[in-house]
Parts: sequence; C-alpha cells; structure tokens
Amino acid sequence: MNLVLVGINHRTAPVEVREKMNIDDARLAGAVANLAHRDGILEGMIISTCNRVELAASLRDAASAEPALRQFLADFHRCDLTPYDPYFYWYRQEEVVRHLFRVASSLDSMIVGEPQILGQVKKAYAVAREVGALNGPLNDVLSQALAVARKVRRETAIGTAAVSVSYAAVELAKKIFGNLSGKTIFVIGAGKMSELAAKHLLRSGASAIFVANRTYGRAVELAQAFHGTALRYEELFTQIEKADIVISSTGAPHFVIEKAQAEKLLAARKNRPMFFVDIAVPRDIDPAVNELNNAFVYDIDDLEQVVDANKKQREREAVWAEEIIQEEVQKMMRRLASREVVPTIVALEDRLNRIREAEAERHRGKLSSLTAEQREAVDALVRGIVNKILHGPITELKSGAGQPEHGHLVQLVRRMFGVGD
Amino acid sequence: MQSAFMWFALGLYALGMLLSLPSIIRRRPALSKRTLGALAVGLAAHATALAMAGAEIHRLPVTDVRSALSFFSFLATVAFFLVYLRYRITALGVFMLPLVFVLTLLSALHPERPFEDPAFRGGWLLIHIASIFLGYTAFLLTFVAAVMYLIQERELKSKKPHAFYYRLPSLEVCDELHSRSLMIGLPLLSVGILTGFVWASRAWKGPWELDPKILASIITWLIYLVLFSTRLSGMWRGRRAAYVAIFGFAAMMVTFLGVSFLSGPHGYFPEFGSLP
Repeated sequence: MNLVLVGINHRTAPVEVREKMNIDDARLAGAVANLAHRDGILEGMIISTCNRVELAASLRDAASAEPALRQFLADFHRCDLTPYDPYFYWYRQEEVVRHLFRVASSLDSMIVGEPQILGQVKKAYAVAREVGALNGPLNDVLSQALAVARKVRRETAIGTAAVSVSYAAVELAKKIFGNLSGKTIFVIGAGKMSELAAKHLLRSGASAIFVANRTYGRAVELAQAFHGTALRYEELFTQIEKADIVISSTGAPHFVIEKAQAEKLLAARKNRPMFFVDIAVPRDIDPAVNELNNAFVYDIDDLEQVVDANKKQREREAVWAEEIIQEEVQKMMRRLASREVVPTIVALEDRLNRIREAEAERHRGKLSSLTAEQREAVDALVRGIVNKILHGPITELKSGAGQPEHGHLVQLVRRMFGVGD
Repeated sequence: MQSAFMWFALGLYALGMLLSLPSIIRRRPALSKRTLGALAVGLAAHATALAMAGAEIHRLPVTDVRSALSFFSFLATVAFFLVYLRYRITALGVFMLPLVFVLTLLSALHPERPFEDPAFRGGWLLIHIASIFLGYTAFLLTFVAAVMYLIQERELKSKKPHAFYYRLPSLEVCDELHSRSLMIGLPLLSVGILTGFVWASRAWKGPWELDPKILASIITWLIYLVLFSTRLSGMWRGRRAAYVAIFGFAAMMVTFLGVSFLSGPHGYFPEFGSLP
C-alpha cells in the first residue's frame, strides 16, 4: 500500500497561487478520472476549495508514481510547475491518513471548528467514487475520515463556541434566555452588524422583531426584511418594555437608554431579564445599566472579548480533538495493514502449493510404482511440509499487523518467497 | 449485610463522581454511560439497604441520624437522575454528586442506634416523614439551581467567560429548575408539617409545640413561603431569589440536622426529652 498526498493550503501558499492551482467544480470529475487513470496510480481524490488544493492517491509503487501526480497538475493547468514547487507539501503513508483526518475534522482550517470543510470533503469523496477512482485503501481512509470528523464534532466542543461578534451575541442571548422562542427583539438604528445579529437571533428561534429608527422609512425597510414591525422613534419608549433583547447601533452621540429608564423598564417587565447588545460607538446604552439586577449590557468590546475567549476554548478543544485523531489514525493503520496481509498470505499459499503440485507432477513417473496408499502417504507428507513451512510466516504476518516494521516484513516475505504483486 | 450494601453504594457514588469529571472538564454534551451506570448501580444497592432496614422494623427506615441521612441522600440521588434526564445538565454532577457522597459517607460513619420507641408508629407519621424528606429533596434542588444561577449570572455580568460560563446551563434553565423545585417543595413541606402536628397531638403529651425542631421547621417554612410569594409577584427574581433560596437551605439543614442534636422528643435522642 502506498498512499501519498500533495497539496497547498492557506498556510503554505498565498491566494494567487491557490487561485492558479484551483480545480473548479465543473471540471472536478474529469480531473479525478484523469488522475486515477494515469500509470502507476491506483486510486485518486481531489479536493479544491478557496483555502486548499490537495490530491490524494494510492500508488502501485511510490518511487516511480509520485512524479505522475506532479505531472497531472502540470498537465491540467498547462504550466510548468517548477515555480510552484516550494508551496507544495508531500505526505506519505500514515501522514496522509493523519492529514485527511485532520482536514475533515476542520483542524487544518483557517478557523478551527468551521463546519463547511466536512461538506467539502464529502463532496470530493462522492465525486471520486462516482468516477470509479476509489476502490482500495484510499477509499477506506476517506470514508473513515468522514466518520472521524463526525466523532470529533460530537465528542469535543470544537465547533460550538461563537467566533464572530454576531454569533457571540446569539450565544449570550441563549445563555441568558435558554430557548429563544417567544422572545422579542428590538433593533434601534441600523447597521450591518445589528442586522446580522438580528438575523441570527431570528434564525435561532426569536419570534418577534421591532425596528425603530430616526428615519421611519429606514425602519420600515428593515422591518419588512425581517417580517417585523416598524416603529417611529418617538414610540420606542412606550413599546420597548416588550423587548427581551435590544440591539442598538444609532449614530447618537448621547445615551439612548439611561440607567433610570432601564430601571423603569425592568420594573414594568416584572424583572424578567433584558439583554442589551450595544454595537454603537459612541455607546447608546449607559454602561451603568449593567449594574441593575436582571439587565445585561454588552458593548462591542465586550463581544470581542467573548469571541477571543471562545477562540481560546476552541484551541483547547482542538487539543482533545488531536488526541482522538491520533487514536483513530493508529486504528486505521492497523486496519490497512491487515487488509494488506490477506493478499500476501493468499499469494504465498498459492505459490507454495503450485511448487508442490509442479514437483509432484515432475516425479509422478518415478512414484508410479507405489501403491495408492503409499502415493497418498507421500502426498500427505508433502502437504504437511508445505503447511508447516507456511505456518511461521503466516502467523508472523497476521500477528504483526499494525506494528511499525510490519510493512518491511510483508515486503521481505514477498521478496523471499518470490511472490509478485 | 445492610451496611455492606451501604458501603458498596458509597463506593459506587464515589466512582460515579470521579467518572463524571472528564465529561465536565471536557465540556462533553452528556455524562458518560459509565458514570450513569456506576451511579445507577450504587442507587440500587442503596435502595436495597433501605428496603432491608425497612423490612426489619416494619416501618419507613428513618429512625435516627444515620438512617435519616441515608434516606435523604438516597432521595437526592434519585432527584439527580430525574433532573439530569430532563435537562441534561452535565455540570449538575459537580454540584450534586459531592453532596450525595458526603451525606452517604456521614450516614455510613454514624453509629447505629438500635430502634426502640414504640410510640414511633402510625400512618400520620409515615406521611409526615415521607413528605418532609421529599420536601427537603426538592429544596436541595432549589439550592443547587440557585447556586448555579448565581455563578452563571456572575459570569455573564463580568463579561469575561470563564470555565463555568461554558459548562453551566442558561439562567433561564437554572431559574426554571429553581421555581419548579420550589413549587414541589413548599406544598410537600406544608403537608409534612401539618401531618406532623396531627401525629404529635395524638402521640405526644406535654407542650410538643415548643419542641425546637418544630419551631425551626416553621421558620424554614416561612422563609420558603416568602421566597415563593416574592417570585410569584415578580418582586424578587434572579439574584435576590437565589440568595433567599440559599438562606432557606441553610435553615433547612439546621432544622434537619442541627436541631436534632438538641434535646426534645423530636430529636434523635428521645431519651433526653420528655416522652409520653
């Protein structure tokens, strides 16, 4: 078994190089088919996204076939690959397995824990299977990579903590209110980030949204986009007690909500909690409001702080994820090794039995003077010798599966007994 | 034989507690099956011990400090399972399992007192003891919910997420657990106190109304009544309600254990008090 992977990613190559090497969706199937049909290449897979271009292959013989991969890229992009060589990384054998597992689990992504990569790997796998480019160890490795990715996402919190400001606002809202269904959002002012936060909140289950703006027309626009209600700015303070979550980003130079006002609001709400997301600079909401019981005020800096803490959390989770992957890589290597052994054992038995049969044929004349019983005894004798000879190597091959020297052992046995591929 | 089951249960509670730690530290979405398995087996052993004790004396096995602690920790473990299965709060283990373990340990270490009081029987007594203990268990949950709420609220107010922020449930869930357990606990405690009055008026002569435990339990009951009504009216929510719940739990523990060491017919040292 000879696995190899060659590729570039956002860490090794700048965007211009990644652009150049990119293999677009339309031509992907054809490319994989082309790759897998080249001499010396038994299986192939290509994954090409904005952050990486990678070719994985199972080769008949590593030394001679690796250049074939490089040649494929040169042919496909119709260019000389030499200036791009420094950007490529080459992985072999266990490194290939580890890399594919890590990539699928989003550990090699720009933002660790991102969810898109799994879908991208799934798609690349599906395309390669469709064109018949996967039918051996690489197929096993890839399908296991998808399973490992799901395991990592399930058993670690690698993808859960929010790493963008708008998602952080949703995460905080959930930490306060639990379920967001039935909760009301008030958007004061307008702006990209507040719209994004509102959108995420609605998608996470918030029910009602009110929009207020100094310019009524703008409020109406936004309200329509969210299927909510527009309010005139003057109406704001009579209605805002309905709000569980307030997202504020006006251009006002003064506070839109002062501590005293907030106190009245909380009393009117019978102290049900209120979450203020203050994206404005200068701030719209008096920070002193945070001192009130059941009121939570987060300004843009606070949200960034949460995002930073979450990123560190993800890194910690990534450590657990790497441990899971390490375990899975070992399991996979053992599986691949035993898979390897079966054909060798079969070929070995085959070879020795053929020798036995050939020799028996050759000496048939000289043995013809024996009785049937004696011929049978000689036959049994020879079979016995063959089986005893085979016993040692077969046991070693089976028991050694997974050990580091096992690959050498297999090669050695094949060489010594003259067993070809 | 009985105490063998108790020690076995204790060992399994300790095991469950240790096994729960990796799930909490690693922020897994659920406690591992091994953790739950160990605790379940421990609970079964604990139940067996209680059943054996009950069969021996033909009444509810709550007759002294040792058996009271055992019964309480048993109910607490059952409550843990119910809450965990309903809310899947992995961090619940951090708060409840050590409590369960300590209570069971105290029970196992406490000397056994041979049961002897003939007046200690009757249907009213059974209802009294059962309701009181169920009420205590509910208030234990209120306490745990209050503590979790306070920690999470502090995390959210501080704007700097620390370890607990990631592992504790939302304020809403803490609050829901708080109010639900309160709504179960208060009626139970009320029934418990009333049936206690009924039984005492029949079984005890003398001024049983002045018994320290009864007085302490009325004070506890009042604290929880205040908590209940202020929550209903919305006057005190969130942090204030949590503080009162903690205060109420302290009063409850004093009523449960502290007062028992004083004299009085209600204590677990009946020979020091005035018995009929």
